[in-house]
Amino acid sequence: MEHQTGPELMIEAHQLRRTFGQRQAVADLSLSVRRGEIFGLLGPNGAGKTTTIRLLSGQIIPDSGWARVAGCDVVHEPLRLKQQIGIVFEEQNLYERLTARMNLRFTCWLYGLPEKRIDEVLTLVDLRDRAREPVGKFSQGLKQRLLIARALLHKPAVLFLDEPGRGLDPISAHTVRQVIRRLSEEGTTILLTTHLMEEADQLCQRVAFIVNGRLVANDTPRHLKLQHGKRLLQVTLEEQQDHARRLCDITLKLDDVSDQQRLARWLSEGKVRALHTQEASLEEVFFHVAGVPLS
Amino acid sequence: MHLRGILAIARKDIIDLVQNKATLVGLLLPIFMAVLFSFINSLISGTPTRLLIYNPGHSPVERIVSSAFSAPAISHATSPVEVEAAFGPDGAHKQSSYALGLIVPPTFESDLRAGRHPQVQLFLNGDSIDTAQRALLTQALTDYGRQVVNPEPPLAVVTSTINPPQPSAFGQNSKAFFVMYVLIMAIMNSASIVPGLIIEEKEKKTLRMLLASPITFSDIIAGKLLVSLAYQMLLLTIVFLTMQGFIGNLPWLLLFIFIGACLTNAIGLLIGCLFNTTSASGAATGILIFAFIVPALFVGPLGQLVEGQSFMIIVKAIPVYYLAEGLYKALTGQTAVAAMLTDLTVITGTTLVFFGLAAWSLRHQAAVASSI
Repeated sequence: MEHQTGPELMIEAHQLRRTFGQRQAVADLSLSVRRGEIFGLLGPNGAGKTTTIRLLSGQIIPDSGWARVAGCDVVHEPLRLKQQIGIVFEEQNLYERLTARMNLRFTCWLYGLPEKRIDEVLTLVDLRDRAREPVGKFSQGLKQRLLIARALLHKPAVLFLDEPGRGLDPISAHTVRQVIRRLSEEGTTILLTTHLMEEADQLCQRVAFIVNGRLVANDTPRHLKLQHGKRLLQVTLEEQQDHARRLCDITLKLDDVSDQQRLARWLSEGKVRALHTQEASLEEVFFHVAGVPLS
Repeated sequence: MHLRGILAIARKDIIDLVQNKATLVGLLLPIFMAVLFSFINSLISGTPTRLLIYNPGHSPVERIVSSAFSAPAISHATSPVEVEAAFGPDGAHKQSSYALGLIVPPTFESDLRAGRHPQVQLFLNGDSIDTAQRALLTQALTDYGRQVVNPEPPLAVVTSTINPPQPSAFGQNSKAFFVMYVLIMAIMNSASIVPGLIIEEKEKKTLRMLLASPITFSDIIAGKLLVSLAYQMLLLTIVFLTMQGFIGNLPWLLLFIFIGACLTNAIGLLIGCLFNTTSASGAATGILIFAFIVPALFVGPLGQLVEGQSFMIIVKAIPVYYLAEGLYKALTGQTAVAAMLTDLTVITGTTLVFFGLAAWSLRHQAAVASSI
């Protein structure tokens, strides 16, 4: 399991453990996330993703282990930590009778922020023209954008996003991803949980798989796919048969010595017209690593 | 405790309550009741109180007696016999258009100052003046004597009452009853505000968001209590102004209002902590409303009608009865500690018990709040 140290680390967790009754929700979890990185925590429902966010955001106390987020000890510096982090919860927990602007004003009151910040975050999530509407009339996508706006009001150094793409239509999901990318480019560290592999593949610079509270893999999506994929190569050959030229596709195993020799011979004979690597999807990698389906 | 956080919660909750039309109607109900009862009371006690006074020496006693009534209609008798004839002997039942008769001797003021023990005669009609008012009038006259000749007045007040007040005479102290009832409703309302505000935060998972912000569970609860107290203060002010309710003994009245507010807020906190959904708390709130509204009905005139009935034992087993009775007694001007002691003890004890339970449940709730 990767564990880095250094000044640029915004999230550091070491051997975090938390149980609820007899159930071990998080077991010996260690991870680190660099400044400005988008880190994805992937796993099936009930794997411990949300509990990890709650541990890292100081909402619950670990039974053992330690964690520092934005330089704050999550157990001993809860108030300082709360100023440094923003959370977008799994539930769309907004005050539905209040307008979008009023929801944000309330957050400004809680944090003691100037209300001019509201327009900045509304612009960021493209909600300025809907600000005067009651949140109860909003679609899921609009609510999700408002939740992100609320979490960003106090300019947190670290943003936790719990299932940001859940229940969103493709257009809303695309808009939310654009916002997340922009925040990352501006230096905000983002830890998101999801069980949508495509979302993680598109967004995250690094992902970790969590199963039954344990991290079973932690790397860049590309490395994971290379490491755990089947390493296949699709070769398009041009062959002469019965005075006619014919194209055929053959799949080779890169790790197979005989396949390597066959490829070398075809290349020397000039038969190879095209080569395509067949990369595994993150979902296949997850299944391979965890031995369980995602949902 | 963070004042900024407490005020933020309170401001948000007030705005949210105003936006919630269903709750708003419930919150304004005591005001509607105050207006309605005020109107009914004006119909009942709208006729002026007729006083027949013989006062050839123009003693200030006349002003003192007449000021005890909101709408006195004074007729001056030409002789003491005229007043005596209008009323008759003490304890008699007689048709009389007068509520009160007063005979002040011509030399009353000079005799009083000379220490000659002058005598004023007070005739009361029990149909219009109840026992408490009678006591207040006698007290007012004695006080006047003390004011003129300090410390012991050489004054004798002779009181005669015709049509002695009967327990069944509904309409007596109707204003005190109506004010007490609306006060009970106003106090009771916070017992539904506080759990509503807490449970909604749990139900909509906004509590989790609040706990992730730089405020504590205590700040959240303090903010909710602040809203409830502000609402109670506003409501009580409106009720008092609408019903002209500053009557009776104000210190006792304010004491019982304070204890009542503490009791309802403690019950509200307890319900808010025990339940996680509005529907689940609905039944508890329903029982609570019943426990407040029903016992209060049997205090005062209606209580006198049914006194001695077996079901009154059950009614008196509900602690809120003693809150209502304490308020009623304070509104009718009863000041004796002995008369108030039972009410005060029962309701203070009940409040302390509920505060203990609320504190215990809040402690438990704070420990699990972030996982709700």
